[in-house]
Amino acid sequence: MAAPTAARALRPLWGARCPLPLSPHQAVPRIRPIPEGPRHLHTTPACLKTRAARVRVGKGDKPVTYEQAHAPHYIAHRKGWLSLHTGNLAEEPGAAERAVEDAFLRRFFYGTFPGVLADEVVLKRRANLLVVCLVLARGLPPAKLYFLVGYAETLLSHFYKCPVRLELQTVPGKVVYKYL
Amino acid sequence: NLMGVRLAGSHVDTQESKTNPLVSISDEPEILYKRLSLLVKGHDKAVLDSYEYFAVLAAKELGISVEKVHKPPKKIERLTLLKSVHIYKKHRVQYEMRTHYMCLELKYLTSSTAAVYLEYVQRNLPEGVAMEVKKTKIEKIPEHIQEPVWDTLPQVEETEVKS
Repeated sequence: MAAPTAARALRPLWGARCPLPLSPHQAVPRIRPIPEGPRHLHTTPACLKTRAARVRVGKGDKPVTYEQAHAPHYIAHRKGWLSLHTGNLAEEPGAAERAVEDAFLRRFFYGTFPGVLADEVVLKRRANLLVVCLVLARGLPPAKLYFLVGYAETLLSHFYKCPVRLELQTVPGKVVYKYL
Repeated sequence: NLMGVRLAGSHVDTQESKTNPLVSISDEPEILYKRLSLLVKGHDKAVLDSYEYFAVLAAKELGISVEKVHKPPKKIERLTLLKSVHIYKKHRVQYEMRTHYMCLELKYLTSSTAAVYLEYVQRNLPEGVAMEVKKTKIEKIPEHIQEPVWDTLPQVEETEVKS
């Protein structure tokens, strides 16, 4: 038991706070008046770390459309829906099939109109008819646009066995809502 | 005053009978409906409100009496899923799907009126809105129960029962 006693000797005593000798003025403890008043905890606002469908704030040079600027909890309040079908209603079938079709259609249009899509594709299903609403920038000559529209419509209607209609709108450039 | 009169077609020979190929006339008695109930479901309440205005207006124009228009309470389907692809069981994500309802009840229709109204209203259903139709038919009471049984049986003479 020699080692623990030696260690105890080296450790400072519990009561000792300052190693230097104290002067008579310092030895008397100063009693400060206890401040009265409401007691609060100083807190900073909570930093939400959710990243779903949100564009993070940056230096202010990133142009962002209305669709991208709003987070998913604004759907039905400040945002609408990009894909309108009855699959997600209560007691209605076909939600998964519509979701797969939507995913394919978005990739298809992203590839068919490379660099020209100004905003997300809006898909509307009315009975058997599939209406695709696109907003395009004016990058392609009209002849090529018409060809791509006809190509997309015939190919998709043969693929999905339903009439497909494309509704286009061209804008001079991407419509910027704000810069983040 | 011939200001608003449509004169197109007035040159057609009046001896020709105008038969519309879309209209068919049959001698079968029409099926009568006591009530036609349309339950419209959607995610967007504003869309349902505008569709209600449209359907009620269409019914009034066709002369169909509207019994009542009421809005059953919405149903919310909530899902709690794992946020991450792999592990992290404590971190979840919640989604919900809201279905708003609107019920339109029309009374006393014939089958042809109902067919016309339903066709018009269904062709103009907005996308993302579903409709369920319930028809209540009026049928004649079957012949075998039209008169009570005790009237149809042959009259039996009353015999005294000796105890």
